[in-house]
Amino acid sequence: METVFISQLKALLDAVAQQMVVFTPTEVGDSFTYARYTHDGEVKAVLNPVRTCSPAKEFLFPMREIAAVFPEAISPEEVQPFAVFGLKDCDLKSIQILDRVFYEEEFHDPFYISRREKMFLISSDCYDPKDTCCCTLFEGRVFPLKGFDLNVSKIKDGYLVEAGSTEGKMFLHRNERLFADAPSAARAERDRNRQQAQQQLEQINARYKLDRKVEEIVLESQDSPVFDQVATGCVECQSCTRICPTCHCFYLFDTQRENAFGKMKVWDSCVRQDFARVAGGENPRKILGDRTKHRLMHKFVYFLERYGIHMCVGCGRCVDSCAGEMDFRDVLVRLNRELVNIKGRS
Amino acid sequence: MIANPYQPLTATITEIIDESPTIKSFVVVPRQPFKFATGQFIELTLPGQGEAPFTPSSSPSVTEKMEVTIMKAGRVTGLLHECQTGQPVGIRGPMGKGYPVDDFAGKQVYIVGGGVGLAPIRSLLLTLIDRIGDFERVVCRFGARSPEDFIYKPALFGSWKQIQGLDITLTVDKANGNWSGNVGVVTTILKRDDVDISNAVAVVCGPPIMMKFATLKLLDHGFAPNRIYLSMEKNMSCGIGKCGHCMIGKYYACKDGPVFTFEQIQNYPNIWE
Repeated sequence: METVFISQLKALLDAVAQQMVVFTPTEVGDSFTYARYTHDGEVKAVLNPVRTCSPAKEFLFPMREIAAVFPEAISPEEVQPFAVFGLKDCDLKSIQILDRVFYEEEFHDPFYISRREKMFLISSDCYDPKDTCCCTLFEGRVFPLKGFDLNVSKIKDGYLVEAGSTEGKMFLHRNERLFADAPSAARAERDRNRQQAQQQLEQINARYKLDRKVEEIVLESQDSPVFDQVATGCVECQSCTRICPTCHCFYLFDTQRENAFGKMKVWDSCVRQDFARVAGGENPRKILGDRTKHRLMHKFVYFLERYGIHMCVGCGRCVDSCAGEMDFRDVLVRLNRELVNIKGRS
Repeated sequence: MIANPYQPLTATITEIIDESPTIKSFVVVPRQPFKFATGQFIELTLPGQGEAPFTPSSSPSVTEKMEVTIMKAGRVTGLLHECQTGQPVGIRGPMGKGYPVDDFAGKQVYIVGGGVGLAPIRSLLLTLIDRIGDFERVVCRFGARSPEDFIYKPALFGSWKQIQGLDITLTVDKANGNWSGNVGVVTTILKRDDVDISNAVAVVCGPPIMMKFATLKLLDHGFAPNRIYLSMEKNMSCGIGKCGHCMIGKYYACKDGPVFTFEQIQNYPNIWE
């Protein structure tokens, strides 16, 4: 892969912004969210040390959108190319997960796809992981290997920029004058940074190590009382599912407009009590503990069975956002311990 | 441009049939012919109000119109019950996998139904009747709360009785008037020798509680879990296996069902709720 050097982040983002709208991380309190980049300096070119608090799914699967207008259909608005800067390995993985769902077989979602095909992904290495980051528990890394158009690594004197796709390579070639060669010392520095961040992250998560595969632990814990116990701390705010970069449940509802009717597609949450309720009143998950279990089963068991990958990237956003201070890593450790104890006794 | 799976096809309600005190059938004529396989379902939109999933109760061989039998149960079905003929509606679909009718050929087909669950069964029966010679026998055991609560009365008490190779027995939870048939829930008329289990498939559709006990009875009679076909009622919304409301374990009822074998779903929690 092609890797080059640039001293200023601003020069890179300005070059991208000449071609398309760019969304970039911006500080909010002690965290980051995305804002539209402006070259005048109102929204600065800042590299986020760790993933943003808002999920990347917002760019592809917005919280609320019009899914249909009828009786006469209207063609959807044409999506213009856009770039998102500051994505991390977990964000790229979350997009790969959503791709599986929204591009599945004959069941394509045209709204997701129209945005996905116009998205230019600029990722970056994590250099200061949070306490809630846990991608390393799920085969994640502090830097991406694939799934990006460009990846940015911070080094002492500037940034290394690597192309990860044809579009990324074309961008580097078109903007050759901005970049210098990446000396081997710079690459070595990047690799050291990565190793250090990776170790830092592994240390953070050392106490969440599981004895067995997470899918086996969750599946074999179907009858565990732990789900009901942890559910007592849940206030059903649903933030875990909304802020999750891979949760993609939604509901459709009908609206009336002046001369037409609309069908809206809005984020929904399996934590909500009536989520699975049918008109006759039956509800397979009316107990909160069953919904807690379903969420973990979907993430670690059902999705894996269907698509061959976990539906969790270990970004830790759900832990940050939980009003009930539930940490799914603790839940997994409790389930793990419970299984070990049962095995030990028998 | 990819087709929009959320876009309804415009249709009109042209006829409304009162089936029972709480159930009506709606004849719906779509703007263009609409194909479906028996057991597949549609999302019916009442414009501006909402959408709900229904399995058409008519024969798939008719594509210029379809019948949808609807029990008044929730908000959308309540509003649909107030509709008059001429009402524009929307249709999305067909969705999911229906009954594997070809796999039933040469076998005895044992159909257990209750209440509005006779709606998908009517579509299946019309399909089977069209090629009745392909099946060894078709044996139906249907239940309703009272004689008035049976839907499709003209067929149940008339035309279907005349069909050779089709055996129908009815039961009611509570008799009244001149009911001379069985009284009791549908499981009371499921007998071990109704069909030759070694060469039979069972189809069950009805209220969840009835499906549960009918399935247990069939298992008790010796039916293999992979020979019992269940029409699962779940909260199907998007209809294309994405929105998550209708999940039964790893399955999406809308895409992988709504017809499942008991074997497929037996190990998942609360399937009857």
